[in-house]
Amino acid sequence: MLFILLRQSFTNQMKAMFLMFLSVAMGTAVSASLVAISLDVQGKVSRELRSFGANITIEPKVEGLAGLAGQRRFLSEEDIPKAKTIFWRHNIIGLTPFLELEALLEVAHSGATSKRKVMGAWFDHSIMLPGESEPFDAGVSSVMPWWEVSGSAPGEGEALVGVSLAQELGIKSGDTVRLMGRDLRVSGTLSTGGAEDGLLVLNLNELQSLSGNEGALTRVMVSALTTPMDEFAYKDPDTMSKVEYEKWYCTGYVTSIAKQLEEVFGGSRVKPIWRVAETEGRVLERLTVLVYLLTLAALVAAALGMSTTLAASVLRRLDEIALMKAVGADRMGISIIFLAETFIIGLAGGLVGYLISLAAAHYIGVEVFGSALDQKGILLPASILSALGISSLAAWLPIRRALMVKPAVVLKEVH
Amino acid sequence: MTAFIEIKDVLKEYGTATALRGVSFAVERGQWCAVVGASGSGKSTMLNIIGGLDSPSSGCVSMDGVDLCALGEDPMARFRRENVGYVFQQSHLVPYLTSVENVMLAQYFHSLTDEDEAREALARVGMDHRLGHRPSQLSGGEQQRVCIARALINSPKVLLADEPTGNLDRENTTLILGLLKRLHTEEHFTIIMVTHDAYVAGWAGRVVTMEDGLIVKDEPSDR
Repeated sequence: MLFILLRQSFTNQMKAMFLMFLSVAMGTAVSASLVAISLDVQGKVSRELRSFGANITIEPKVEGLAGLAGQRRFLSEEDIPKAKTIFWRHNIIGLTPFLELEALLEVAHSGATSKRKVMGAWFDHSIMLPGESEPFDAGVSSVMPWWEVSGSAPGEGEALVGVSLAQELGIKSGDTVRLMGRDLRVSGTLSTGGAEDGLLVLNLNELQSLSGNEGALTRVMVSALTTPMDEFAYKDPDTMSKVEYEKWYCTGYVTSIAKQLEEVFGGSRVKPIWRVAETEGRVLERLTVLVYLLTLAALVAAALGMSTTLAASVLRRLDEIALMKAVGADRMGISIIFLAETFIIGLAGGLVGYLISLAAAHYIGVEVFGSALDQKGILLPASILSALGISSLAAWLPIRRALMVKPAVVLKEVH
Repeated sequence: MTAFIEIKDVLKEYGTATALRGVSFAVERGQWCAVVGASGSGKSTMLNIIGGLDSPSSGCVSMDGVDLCALGEDPMARFRRENVGYVFQQSHLVPYLTSVENVMLAQYFHSLTDEDEAREALARVGMDHRLGHRPSQLSGGEQQRVCIARALINSPKVLLADEPTGNLDRENTTLILGLLKRLHTEEHFTIIMVTHDAYVAGWAGRVVTMEDGLIVKDEPSDR
């Protein structure tokens, strides 16, 4: 009988049923798309935000008497591949080493000499990682994509001149400069908008060789995908319990990744670049909050849409409800009919909403992030459950209204 | 020994209006009682209170020893479906269900549906040729017979009829009353029937007259 009642109810109220189905399906589609985005967005946005450059810097640890005496310490180039062996190795998407020192620079055509900062960096350089068959790009462009080279990257016997330095000393491409007793041809100019504009930049290995600091580095810049910092992330690991420490260590906070890098780089001090890390954290956090608020709004709108339609349907069926009560239907009997209707609508709406969300999330992923979103399997049951939740929530007030029907009054009024 | 149906000092107020002013009344098992009176005399209110569709403001109602005033909403619904068969003036049928489905609806809320039993109930009221028809395809008299079949399907102890022939022509009225008469004489149904029509009331064995919320006359029918 319930089947007959439901079948007849659906065929006799096709418009109302379709409207309710549409409310649930659209609400589920929007919320499931947003949840799909939010589940994948951190990785995607984090990757986008990596265009900000490095968010971690590794420097030699200088302390004690050596520090007081200004003694120079270096990192070892041999440690670079170890960065890709840490727990969060897959989150390290770029790293590049530097050697910085001061040296006497002589401009050949003018004979001007001055003590200048010189930097060694890798351009178009890949390294082989342990256990990996593909080389890993460790060139400066993987971390500092905004470096603009006019001319060509410095090869052997060549150097790039920062635009400020070039202007100051009147150096241009093709000129020759003398550094540490070696003539270098200027292959181009470098513009970064930063301190590098005042430097002479050589290939890292050439500078190491010229300065007699083979394998030595003064800085490694790391670009890592991170989890937004929360209150827990700022906790001092030294004061954490074992469980807390494990949780912190196994969460991709910039601080825990820094800690792990410090463990593999001998004699190093690894620091997050807070300006970048915090900005990323804030952006991601606000984005996540925005997505969840939109999800909630979509669900509430769907529930309201369905509730209004169902309430109108209850009003239209007052005499039918009164009649059912008159022939002995109790509250459970009446509720079951409406709940079954909303269950069917919720189930169908959830399923269709999920399918729409697949297409919507794919479209958003491709259009906004340039690649399809990773669809999580949990979204199907979650969509159906949330659709059933919306339906039940939406049905609550109308069912309550139906249960309050007084058959004696309604049946007397109906003509 | 208490009567099968007994109402004592029943008062029913709707806001400032009083529908029943301390009515006391009893019906014995197997009796066919007609309640007559002008519109607004309180006869339908009394019928609704006896059937548990409404509750008194004060006083008490019992049926077959059960104090109806002590029952909550759901126990009252259970009591109604097990003991009371209702026939209304406007033949209230679910418009999108066929005759047999309308009868099965009462079965559904009572226990389990049995289509054969529903067909038999319709055959008892001479509607076995209109089983698959919807209310809109039936005449007023036919609709009312479907209502009677629905009221009888769960073997109630009492049949309550509120103006069962109010919307029917004389031919159909006689048909319906004949049906009720048969149920009363052959199957010994207890029937309480509200009407304003003296002709209809004359079919019952007892006529109770109400005026302004009070019973003013209670006498056997002339018929």
